[in-house]
Amino acid sequence: MNKKNHFRRVWGAPIALAALTVFGLLAALLGTGAWHWAAWAALAAPIGVCAYFWALPRQPS
Amino acid sequence: MKLKAWHWVHKWSSLVCTVFLLVICITGLPLVFHEEIDHWQDDGQPYAQVPEGTPKASVDGMARQARAMYPGEVIDFIFADDDEPEVYVGMAPSYDADPKFSHMVKFDGHTGEVLKDGPPESQERLSFMGIMLALHVDWFAGLPGQLFLGLMGLLFVAAIVSGMVLYGPFMKKLPFGAVREGRSRRLKWLDLHNLLGIVTLAWGLVVGVTGVINELATPLFGLWQATEVAQLLAPYKGQPPPSTPSSVQAAMDTASAALPGHTALSVNFPGSRFGTPHHYLVWLKGGSPLTAHLFTPVLIDAATGKLDTIVQPPWYLTALELSRPLHFGDYGGLPLKFLWALLDLITIVVLASGLYLWVARRKATDARIAALARAHAAPVPAMPAAPDATAAAVSGLAASKPAASSPTPAPSMPAASTPAAASLQSENS
Repeated sequence: MNKKNHFRRVWGAPIALAALTVFGLLAALLGTGAWHWAAWAALAAPIGVCAYFWALPRQPS
Repeated sequence: MKLKAWHWVHKWSSLVCTVFLLVICITGLPLVFHEEIDHWQDDGQPYAQVPEGTPKASVDGMARQARAMYPGEVIDFIFADDDEPEVYVGMAPSYDADPKFSHMVKFDGHTGEVLKDGPPESQERLSFMGIMLALHVDWFAGLPGQLFLGLMGLLFVAAIVSGMVLYGPFMKKLPFGAVREGRSRRLKWLDLHNLLGIVTLAWGLVVGVTGVINELATPLFGLWQATEVAQLLAPYKGQPPPSTPSSVQAAMDTASAALPGHTALSVNFPGSRFGTPHHYLVWLKGGSPLTAHLFTPVLIDAATGKLDTIVQPPWYLTALELSRPLHFGDYGGLPLKFLWALLDLITIVVLASGLYLWVARRKATDARIAALARAHAAPVPAMPAAPDATAAAVSGLAASKPAASSPTPAPSMPAASTPAAASLQSENS
């Protein structure tokens, strides 16, 4: 596995979730209506990921 | 920085702040819903039912009523809520009185009737929400308490950053989201600590940093007063404060008329701690979602009632104002508050599991040292002293080896039977 793939494997999900979080925080701050719905969905993502892997543990292959 | 140094930072920054952060997270849960709880606990008169479009009553009348209720006291501020038809008149025995004596009279914004004569701050502080707020913000210790908890918040931020650095090497051979169950409780909680921590990283950083900024509110506001406000006051040098201040309603109207699209949210009275001796300091709120959180201070000359200055707040006051919604989570409806509460609960799990991992690791280390000490005292010297050998394996070996040759268990082995002691004895004889 090359270095770039390795970085993506370790950091891909955390960076995507951080981006979703920041988007959610700003969408709720700067927008109204549909933006609030988008913000709620985006901020629910990290919580959903926590619940998913906690409830359904994934064993390392 | 080496990984070992990052580990040191992570361990000590979190160890020092964890207990305080746990209290902050737990008290933060009810505080997220403080509007709902305050509403539910409100024992004042209900608002009058009025037809849509009913104009608001003049705050001058409310100020007059408040003064009549407390003739010896001064009005500190007026807060005209824009969500509910309510107006709070903040009062104090004098402008330099201890804040614990300050109190608020709540008025109906439409009728101008008194809805509630609130208790003094000293009593308010001991209500359930007052205690939650104190434990969250200053532990009843005022500014020193705020600065201390601000420092704990900084350590929390350092713990998050160092934890992020450690996450990379830790996950080298693990897929994202791996929670290794069934091997040991400690390993499972280590994986969960890392998973929950990295997933909520951005939220934790934002709420942590904005929390620190909020704890700096008093010094930041003081800095603004001592620099920019002091400059604006220079032309008034030597003048006595106005003996009969102009109308406060007129001051609010003049201020909001000066900035189209803005409404007056609150006023600090001339002479009050957060105002100036010569002005009504009116705080305007903008109409867009963002400017609704960015307040503009306007100075109205309290002698003439004329507009003095629309102040451009410095960057640090803007940062402070933006830090409030981003910390409180009260800017995106009730669903955002529930998400805030869930993320807060996850943070509690990260903090508690971090503490558990430290205790468990210490226990494991202690057990390992005890086992190595026993092994050292055992008759068989060929002990695998590899640092990664588990305490159980080491102690099991130490106990079983001598058991084969002698019935005496290893820990209570008589000194004479160990090789070293035997050789000492033979030398002596």
